[in-house]
Formats: sequence, C-alpha cells, structure tokens
Amino acid sequence: MKKSVSAILVAALWLVLTAMAWFLPARETSVAERRPLAQMPQADVKDVLNGSFMDEFEDYALDQFPLRDSFRQIKSLFHYYVLGQKDNNGIYLYQGYAAKQEYPLKEASVSHALERFQYLYEKYLTESDVYMAVVPDKGYYLAEQAGQLSMDYERLFSLMEEGMPWATHIDLTQSLTLEDYYRTDTHWRQECLLDTAALVCQAMGVTSPQESDYVPITLSRPFYGVYYGQAALPMEPDSIQLMTSDLLDNCTVYDYETGKTSAVYNLDKLDSPDLYDVFLSGARSLLTIENTQAATDRELIVFRDSFGSSLVPLLVQDYAKVTLVDIRYVRIDLLDQFLDFHGQDVLMLYSTLVLNSSSTIR
Amino acid sequence: MLFSSISFLYYFLPGVLLVYFLMPWKGKNAVLLLASLIFYGWGEPKLLGLMVFTILLFYGCGLAIGKARKQKFKRLWLIVSVAISLLLLGLFKYADFFIGSFNAATGLSVPLLKLALPVGISFYTFQCLSYTIDVYRGSVAPQKNVISFGAYVSLFPQLIAGPIVRYVDVARELESRTHCWENFRLGLRRFLVGLGKKVILADNFALLAKLFRENGEPSVLFYWMYAVAFTLNIYFDFSGYSDMAIGMGRILGFHFIENFNYPYLSKSVAEFWRRWHMSLGSWFRDYVYIPLGGNRVKPARWVFNILVVWMLTGLWHGAAWNFVLWGLLFAFLLLLERVLPGLKKMPGALQHGYVLLAVVLSFVLFNAESMTQAGQDFAGLFGLGGLPLVTTETLYYLRSFALLFLAGFVGATPVVKQCAQRISLTRAGGVLELLLMAGLLLVCTAYLVDGSFSPFLYFRF
Repeated sequence: MKKSVSAILVAALWLVLTAMAWFLPARETSVAERRPLAQMPQADVKDVLNGSFMDEFEDYALDQFPLRDSFRQIKSLFHYYVLGQKDNNGIYLYQGYAAKQEYPLKEASVSHALERFQYLYEKYLTESDVYMAVVPDKGYYLAEQAGQLSMDYERLFSLMEEGMPWATHIDLTQSLTLEDYYRTDTHWRQECLLDTAALVCQAMGVTSPQESDYVPITLSRPFYGVYYGQAALPMEPDSIQLMTSDLLDNCTVYDYETGKTSAVYNLDKLDSPDLYDVFLSGARSLLTIENTQAATDRELIVFRDSFGSSLVPLLVQDYAKVTLVDIRYVRIDLLDQFLDFHGQDVLMLYSTLVLNSSSTIR
Repeated sequence: MLFSSISFLYYFLPGVLLVYFLMPWKGKNAVLLLASLIFYGWGEPKLLGLMVFTILLFYGCGLAIGKARKQKFKRLWLIVSVAISLLLLGLFKYADFFIGSFNAATGLSVPLLKLALPVGISFYTFQCLSYTIDVYRGSVAPQKNVISFGAYVSLFPQLIAGPIVRYVDVARELESRTHCWENFRLGLRRFLVGLGKKVILADNFALLAKLFRENGEPSVLFYWMYAVAFTLNIYFDFSGYSDMAIGMGRILGFHFIENFNYPYLSKSVAEFWRRWHMSLGSWFRDYVYIPLGGNRVKPARWVFNILVVWMLTGLWHGAAWNFVLWGLLFAFLLLLERVLPGLKKMPGALQHGYVLLAVVLSFVLFNAESMTQAGQDFAGLFGLGGLPLVTTETLYYLRSFALLFLAGFVGATPVVKQCAQRISLTRAGGVLELLLMAGLLLVCTAYLVDGSFSPFLYFRF
C-alpha cells in the first residue's frame, strides 16, 4: 500500500467520524452512565461573550460523540491491557467482578456520620432498642486479593462500634461472601441474603426468614449494574431475582414523597435505567411498609441506604409496620413532622461506601 | 480551545481545513486569519480585542520602521512596539506577581489587578518582537498585507503553545506555499504522533502526579515517582503540542522550526537547552544574550549576561518566584559547566545521570505551587521528616504505572522513530503506517471521549 493511500484512508476515517458528530441526532441519555447527556447550547451574544456557550459546547461535543460507549470501551481496554493500569477511573475487574476502589478510609467522613447518628439517637431514639449493621462493600472481599488499594475495614468497623455505644452491633461479615453481590453492581443479591437477614432477625429477636417461605422470580431484563457502565469493559450482565411470598404480596408500601401506595417490588421500575429500583422503588426518602399479616404489632424503623431496599423485605415478617428512612434525602430535624417515635425497634443499616463518603448524610 | 479536545479535532479543524482547501489561493490567508481569531476568541472572547490590537500595533510599527529613512525614527518605532508589547505582557502576566512581592516585602496591601491571563500571550508577544526587531535590523522586509501579517501573528497551530515561529522563517510561505499530498501525509502523521504523546502519555503521567498530590501515604519512592512522572509529563505534553503544531503547519503548507530534539539524552545542561524548547532558547540567544554582548565580554559581564537571560527565561515560564529560581538554577549549572570543564571528561553514563538528576529536580521546583511546597517536595525526595521509603500505596501505583514509565523512557529516545523509519522502508510500511495512524486517532479519541480532559501545561505561561 502506498503511504499516500494510508493517509487518505486515515483522513477518510476522521471525516466519517466528523460527519457523524455533526449530523447524527443528539441522544437524551446515556444508559451505560445513567445520566442525561449535554445538549447543543443556545448561542446568544451574552453566553458567547462570557464564554459559557463555549464551555457548554465542549460538554455537548464530548457527550454526543458518535459511538460514545464503544470509544469508552476502547479506552478501558487500552488502559487495562496495553498500559497495564490496575484500575480505570477507580474501577477494577477481578474474577469477573467489577468493583470500585474504596481507599483510603476517611476517618473525618466516618466521624461526620457518627455525629449525625448521635444527633438522631439523642433527638428521637433514646427509648428504642437500636441495632447497627455495617454493610461491607465488595472491596472488603476483593481488594486485597486483586492487589488493589484497600481501606482499613477493621478500623472502620471498630470506629462505628466505639462511636455508637448505645447500639447493638451486628457483624454482617459473618454471613456475607463475595458471591452475595452482583458482579456488575455495588449492591447485594437479595436471593443470597437469607442468612444475613436471619442474622439481623436473631439479633432483633424476631422470626428469621426461611427459604421455604419464598418463591424466587427472575426478572427477564438483564441487569447492567452501575459498574458495568463505569468500567466500560465487556462483561456479562447480572440477573435480578426477587424473593416473593404471599406475605410480601399483601404488604403495601406508602411513599411519603408522592403520597402513593405501591407494592414491595415495584414492577413499574422494570423500565428504569437502574433495574435495582424494583426493590422498594429505589432511592426514596421516606417509606412505610404495612404488613397486615404480621404475627405481632411490633414496629421497626430502618435508617438505611440503598442496600436496605433489598434486605428489608426479608425482615418484615413479624413487624406490622416498617418505616424506611434515608437521611441523605430528608433532614433529621424534620423527621418528627412525619413520624411518631415511641420506642419502636430501630435498625441502622449503612454501607461502608456511604460511611466513607458521608457528606450526603444531612 | 485545546488541540486535544473533541471540539477541536472533530469540529474546528475539519471545518477549517475544508474551507481552507476549497478557497482559492488569494483567500487562504484570510481563512487562516479568521479561523485563528475564532480559535483565540473561543477561549478568550473578551480578549480578542487584545489580539487584534497586537496585530495592528506590530503591523503598523513594522511598516513605519520600513518606511523611516533616519535610523533614529526606525529606533523610535522599534521602541514603541517593544515598549507597548512588554507593557501589555507585564500588565496581564506579571503585575500581580510584582504587586504581591512588593506587598510581601513592605507589609503594604496594594490591591492585586486580578486580570485574566491571555492564552499564549508569551508566545505571540515574542513572535511579534522578533518581527519588528528583524525589520529594524534589516533581516526581513516589513509585511505590507495586514491579512497576511495577522495570519502570521495569530496562526492557530502555533498560537497558544509555540514553537515561537519567527516571521523571517515563514515570510516566504506567507506569500507562496505548496499544498500537496506528501505535505498532507507527513503533517497528518506528525499531528497524530503529537496527539498520542499528549493524550496517551502526558495525560497519564499527569494523572499519576495528581494521584501523588491527593495521596494520604507519602513515601520517598512516591516523591521520586512523582518527580520522574512530571518530568515525562511536561516533555510529552509540550513536545506533543509542538508536534501537533508542526504537523498542522505542514498540512497548511508551512514548515515550522523544530522545538525538541530528545532533550533527555543530553550530556550537559548546555546541550539540554539546545534540545529543549529550542525556539525559546534561540530567541533569547539572538534577541537578549547576543545583544548584551554574549560571551565576548569580560567574565563579570558574561556572568551578568547569563544571569539576566536565565532569570528572564524563568520569568517567561511563569510569574512566580519558583520560576525565577528555576531559571537561575540553570544559570548556575551552565556557569558550573563552563568553569569545570572536567565534567565533560566524566563517563557518558555519569554525564547523562547528572543532567537527568538536575532536570528532574529542576522540574520539581518548576511544578511547585509555592516555595513552601517546593521545600516540602525536596524534603520528601531526600527522606527528611521521617518519611517511609515505601508504602503499600506507592507500590500499587508503581505496579500500575510501570508500563507507562517504560513507554515514557523509550518514547523520550529516538528508538521509536528509528524503528518506524526502518519499518516504513519495508513492503508492509504503508499498511503499518495506516494501522498506527488510525490506531492513534481512535485511541486518542477514546481517551478524550472518556473524559481524559486535562489542560495544556504551558497555557499558564
């Protein structure tokens, strides 16, 4: 091949990509990245003169570039396999699992979380039996094996125990294993959580869930977890199984934000970009599960992050009412406007991911 | 607008090339001027007026110098052009540095001007100065066409990051230049090589430097990794930009001067500066050092000349004391090499080692945000303050970046170029060139799309 021909072919490739960038219609969202994509900015004189048009155009050009996901995959493959980098944007792959590098332990963040929990306890929970369970992220099982930087999990657990002497601490690492997590997502798999739920129930003195009580149903849509998009590497999707039961079918979930009632597993979320949202409708600030078939009239309040969405349905058996509160989305000060605190059982369920980046806890 | 951005690669550049090559010869310089003003205004819309003023100032002064019959008038117009341009450079780039230093020395609190630094002001001011000085010296005739002159001053390939192209070097090509496939092929190849240096190598070394600054477990080894990473980062960043500028110039029919010649192979600091940012070194030599008398003066005056030139070289790079010290460090080393000729008799490996050590340490000073940070960095490099030699974190990043370091070490030598030249002589040369160029385009695009978007280091100068 003549060298001038090679230059022409490269120029042609460049031109084709240019034409696609110029003329392909803009997309609204990126499924892989779960975010809206920047759109072509309006060009008015003021925005051009102050430079904001140019900044927005740069964002638009990056977000709307043709074959965006394929190019991100090329970058990840090159970064991992040619440059030999151990992680790509903080995400690493090991034994088929994608995980985020969670490092180092930010003690200031843990202190902030403890300070908020202490305030919560003093304001509302002094009459309650409070239980605390820290959910280890996948890095607890993967990071050291994979030769990745790993936060000092034992230090984090001991900080939580020392900082919350008024709570009974439940060690979830006794029951959890790596296989209990989705390969492409941060979260744990509900169908693997019966042992973990039993551990929590035993600590709280209520009936533990039995495998025979549930019928697992697998969702037909494949589950591409949050790390799938971030890693931008070829991975098989996960599948989501819902642990269904008559008891759960008869439960109703009230959402204080929307004022609407739904089921424990919200199948309206099957079209959601994040399929994990089927568990208790995803990220919600305040929910109440009413369980008319409960054996007792006991009530439970769960202060939680997204890991709670899939675990809590396995804890409701004995509770007539379970309230889920996400204090990342509602201020602690305002809780008594919605809830009556009168000595209910209280479970605090927080992942190491949130505790290590706790600025969102209000 | 950065060369290594999607907006430049897939919107601006293809659009400009399309219009440029469709335009008849008479309109090509006008296309270049307009495109360059858009390029400049894209990043600095409010400072576009400054660029236009600079063009008109030097165009007018050049014509006036050319037309003046008496030497004193020629000198007057030269002084006007030099004074106004240095005043502008001083106002935008150095005023706050001097005010801040004055405040620190006197305890006063004269308010800072806080003016935005016009992108590339050091580059285009020096280009313009060389123009009027050369016209004054009679080395070149003044440009009569304001569009051609404006295109020269604002020419987007070398506007923001050099090389510092002297008017005398492109005067002929502004009037007549060749556009052919061979120029296109060579220019495209050079551009893509430069893009790869910037996006794949420099930006990843910058990532390591950033991780170092963010890390919570410093170690002596990590300080050295940072120092070497930044040394490679700045080389691939700057030489990559120069390659892209030279490549684009070639596509447009210009032959810009080379700016780098494998500087890290040098055996002396003097040689390093003949290989590093060659257009700046030769500018200071021709327009400052030699007019001051060069080395054909008494020893004391020669030392003074060296100190002035290198203090100015340091200041050119940035308005801060660490840049001044950085320049003076090189002045000291150059003087040392002159008074200790025995250095040249050392084994070659030792000479290389001495230069590399000096350069690496100098760039630690160069990249420090403050003199305090520079002090901390040097303390870290030499294990002061009880730092551990190595930590888990350091080893992780060493493993993660080992291949990149290897690529950087090899890429800083002519080995890759020599291999490419040998392969290009074989039958498969065309195919391999295609694969290399297409691969570079796709991988660099992939990095940019993924968000590896880091500003060019030399913008702040």
